[in-house]
Amino acid sequence: MENDELVQNMLLELRRGTLSIAVLSQLSKEQYGYSLLKALSDQGMEIDQSTLYPLLRRLESQGLLQSDWRIVDEARPRRYYVISPQGKTVLEKLKLEWSDMMKTMQKMLS
Amino acid sequence: MSLIDKYVAEVGKHLPLLKGREDVEKELKSTLEDMLEDRAEQTGRPRDEAMEIELLKEYGSPQKIASSYNPHPYLIGPRMFPFFLMVLKIVLAVVVVVMLSISWIKAISAYPLLAADFMQIIFQGFGNALSTAIAAFGNVVIVFAILERVLPEKEIGDFSDEKEWDPASLAKQPDPDMVKRGDLIADVVFTVLGLAFLNGLFSVPVFTEEFARFIPWINAVFLTEIVLDVYLLFLAKWTVVSRVAKVLIEAAGIAITIMLIRTPNLTIFTNESLLNFIKVSEEAGGVALIANYTTSITLVVILIIQGIELAKALYGLLRINYRKK
Repeated sequence: MENDELVQNMLLELRRGTLSIAVLSQLSKEQYGYSLLKALSDQGMEIDQSTLYPLLRRLESQGLLQSDWRIVDEARPRRYYVISPQGKTVLEKLKLEWSDMMKTMQKMLS
Repeated sequence: MSLIDKYVAEVGKHLPLLKGREDVEKELKSTLEDMLEDRAEQTGRPRDEAMEIELLKEYGSPQKIASSYNPHPYLIGPRMFPFFLMVLKIVLAVVVVVMLSISWIKAISAYPLLAADFMQIIFQGFGNALSTAIAAFGNVVIVFAILERVLPEKEIGDFSDEKEWDPASLAKQPDPDMVKRGDLIADVVFTVLGLAFLNGLFSVPVFTEEFARFIPWINAVFLTEIVLDVYLLFLAKWTVVSRVAKVLIEAAGIAITIMLIRTPNLTIFTNESLLNFIKVSEEAGGVALIANYTTSITLVVILIIQGIELAKALYGLLRINYRKK
């Protein structure tokens, strides 16, 4: 039981770092929050709303995302997010780091 | 107002005061509407209040959702914390030293000093120092909590910049257990002089019988101190036993000084005795006053020095024990 909790906490930390990359990678095409959530979930990345929205705000305040409100359905305005030019550069760097990290980890764990 | 609207308003109420609160609310509402729609589609039921309740329950309490938007849930953040600790230590040290000094000065200048008043003033001093330290702690926290919120992030980063650290500086630190020969020799010389003075070798008969009762005890402490000093000179290194002995000697010295402070008429300069020489009672009283002051101040200074020495001895003892573990 004790170990379960420990594993959960470590997984949480492990995932936290990868979420930013996952979100950035899915925003080359603009998405609103809920559609992004579903896109991530479709690919096996389950993420809580209460994690996603604050993360989107943070990425936007860091200049990695842009957002604007759009009225597609008159009753329901939606905020669309898309990766910014700076976000693209950052994502490219992160991708390289990520694949290096993967190789290292695989070597160590195999 | 629908349940969703009420929920969104409740989240908004708990949001930290940040710009874009309206944005958060609008986005949350739009998301919840999307989710409801999905749910209605999937279950094939029209959306109703029961469905809203179910959704909101899953989504979480408004407090929890609102707090997830707080990017900085710190009173004093981790970047500011080392600087905060540094300032806190300095402020507390200064406050305590100043408050204690004030009480010591008060104790010295109280007249007549040779009474229980003295101890009372000292204890009050400790109490004052403690309460002032707590107040100072609160003030430092308030200042830093404000700085945390006012300073832009980049400037906070500057505080934690590590200076170039040179491992060679470790080599320069002396071994804390090495004895300082110069200090020891000086200590021996002055203790011998003190012994000589107390035991009347210079024949200055200023002390009364009251004082004479203490002389054997003082001699004992002085002699032990000399023995320890000489032993350390030969050994050249502190050990646990010698550290303990040092603590005991300092404690004994403090006990004697406190008893002396509480004993009246240590010197022969009283109104009555001086009248024999001066004949005018007012002037005699003045001289007696000065003599008593001098004795008191000397004793208090000795007590302060002994206090510092005891603290040093205790620190040395704790450190030696700590390192052994």
